[in-house]
Amino acid sequence: MNTAMNAYQDHFVEHAMQLPGFDSVSVRVSRQEAMQRFMQSGFPTQRLENWKHTSVTALWKRAYKPSEPGCMGLDPDDITPYLADRRGVYRLVFVNGLFSRPLSDLHDLPVGVRVASMAQLVNDSPCEVEPYLGNHTPGNDQGFSDLNHALWGDGAFVHLPSGTRLEKPLHLLYLSTISREPMVAMPRNVVVAGTDAHAQIVESYASLGQARHFTNAHTTLVLGEKARVRHLLLLQESLVAHHVGTMRATQMGDSCLDSQLFSMGGELTRQELHVTLAGERAECSLDGLFIAGGGQHMDFHTSMHHTSPDTWSRQLYKGVLDGNARGVFNGVVRVPPGIHHTRSNQTSANLLLSDTAEIDTKPQLEINTDAVQCSHGATVGSLDPEALFYLQSRGLNVTSARLLLIKGFAEEVLQRVKPTLLQAWVGQSLNLGVKQS
Amino acid sequence: MNILEVRNLHVSVMNKPILRGLELHLKPGEVHAIMGPNGSGKSTLANVLAGRGDYQVTAGEILYQGQELLSMAPEDRARAGLFLAFQNPVEIPGVSNVRLLKEAFNAHQRYRRLPEMDAMAFRAYLNERTKSLELSEDWLLRPVNAGFSGGEKKRNELLQMMVLEPHLAILDEIDSGLDIDALAKVAAGINALRDTKRSMLLITHYPRLLEQVPPDKVHVLIGGQIVLCGGLDLAGQLEERGYGWLF
Ligand SMILES: Nc1ncnc2c1ncn2[C@@H]1O[C@H](COP(=O)(O)OP(=O)(O)O)[C@@H](O)[C@H]1O
Ligand SMILES: [Mg+2]
Repeated sequence: MNTAMNAYQDHFVEHAMQLPGFDSVSVRVSRQEAMQRFMQSGFPTQRLENWKHTSVTALWKRAYKPSEPGCMGLDPDDITPYLADRRGVYRLVFVNGLFSRPLSDLHDLPVGVRVASMAQLVNDSPCEVEPYLGNHTPGNDQGFSDLNHALWGDGAFVHLPSGTRLEKPLHLLYLSTISREPMVAMPRNVVVAGTDAHAQIVESYASLGQARHFTNAHTTLVLGEKARVRHLLLLQESLVAHHVGTMRATQMGDSCLDSQLFSMGGELTRQELHVTLAGERAECSLDGLFIAGGGQHMDFHTSMHHTSPDTWSRQLYKGVLDGNARGVFNGVVRVPPGIHHTRSNQTSANLLLSDTAEIDTKPQLEINTDAVQCSHGATVGSLDPEALFYLQSRGLNVTSARLLLIKGFAEEVLQRVKPTLLQAWVGQSLNLGVKQS
Repeated sequence: MNILEVRNLHVSVMNKPILRGLELHLKPGEVHAIMGPNGSGKSTLANVLAGRGDYQVTAGEILYQGQELLSMAPEDRARAGLFLAFQNPVEIPGVSNVRLLKEAFNAHQRYRRLPEMDAMAFRAYLNERTKSLELSEDWLLRPVNAGFSGGEKKRNELLQMMVLEPHLAILDEIDSGLDIDALAKVAAGINALRDTKRSMLLITHYPRLLEQVPPDKVHVLIGGQIVLCGGLDLAGQLEERGYGWLF
């Protein structure tokens, strides 16, 4: 592991001047601190409670090289399959982690709304982004976040001033291409919704062909008072890709975050979602669906911190596992002492399609107060043989019957995606996912 | 040729004999009723005809349209025109009625080497049938049987039958859980499908349904065998006297 860590450190030292934000003291210091922490904690090992089901040895053994500019020869047609819509959506496209202006489209952005490449902005106008580029709660299991904070190469910066509305969804597309040497992309995204601002953000990660690459993404969401944000996260990278992603959201009073995660790709995928309900009456709804087959390993960790009274959260995570796939769901809901009148619900439901697929699911409550309403539960099951026979008796062969039941299982999460344009788009990518597994 | 020939059928469930030498012959266009006390094996017969697993056929044979039925997969039986309206239809959350009907209908079309119906035409085809059954507007979008009352489930089975237009329909207690009005609608639906070629097997406890859908024959199934055969009057007798006198 040391060799892999040293390679990142060497890169950090050699390329320090090329990393975005070099001229900003605070950004430089923050990168240095993050690098130091990474060198201390290293890649997480299975001895850490939060990583006990997931080994990242295969990840660091594959000597990924940070991507460099100059490897983007894509034209708009190449990205069509990855787009929800050409016209009805704003988009910011990143290829191998770096912003591509020709592939992006920000026509008719409402006045005042800032959508930009993080790398450009931190060089051109650092004071706009500096407040959001500090390091987040360090932990000895946060090696990947530290690595991202040390080495991020680009990302999206979205700022919605008070009262602004993004009527069309904003699609942040991260595409990785096939390269001679396996590449790592480390996007760092920041979305800030001011007081009473509304936005729909789509964050999707995909590969061109069977690219062997690694994405280590970090996304910060800040919701001001009364802000409403819909967030759709789509992980559909190649079956030989590695993906580690962290989303951290902080919500002020009366804000509302509605986030859906769909994961179909990757050989190894780990996604963390951490939400802090920091203002009274903040509401958060998290849904997830993962479809894993073959030898895929998918691991989802959520933590929901009710640090203010009268806050509300719900979570529904569903897994479909086939072949030798391995799934992990771990969700923690935390209510500290003295925080009253919170409500939370957390459900994990899993469908095993083969005898060799496995799921470890653990919804947890850490509640230190009485005045709460919390419920949680987890189920693991296989396809209902009665339902299969019923469909066969209507003329469907076993394959179609199974597919229909799997889609039926997924439907509940899919239904939560709004608007219909995005729901239909996700539905299409899901079908592929189901067939593939 | 008979559409259905059941000869000396013996079936066990978990090594317990349920059907013991059952005989049944059905001609095209005929409607037969099977009556019998609870646990006599009526649903077992229906399930074996539809091809459900976990039943062991220990002796006998079944011919459907002259073909050996027991070697056919359940979906092939369905595509060949055999339809079972289940006594307890399963709930399938997340799968809408329209989705199921479309897939089922198209599977039948492909089997008959007919083109799939386009979306508009299929919608019209469905609407005609939901209207005649007086089903609510959102019926087709609701998940299959999920949260349906007993009576709604039965009407949903009937809708599927009207869409798939089978050659042999086996209706397992389609009348249970229906009030008088709903029963009249269901009976009208069944009668509308009655013609000189389509055969039906009505499994029921009550003569009420049979009064509205008069069968050509009534069989009484007790202890896994047909013990008595007769006309519609037999159904009335059974209602008056119960099954005790037949043991
Ligand atoms: N899947 C099954 N598993 C166990 N026992 C069954 C099953 N199906 C039927 N049986 C048994 O077989 C007998 C006949 O049941 P059934 O055919 O449902 O009767 P009926 O429909 O006439 O009421 C009953 O004793 C019932 O308990
Ligand atoms: Mg029965």
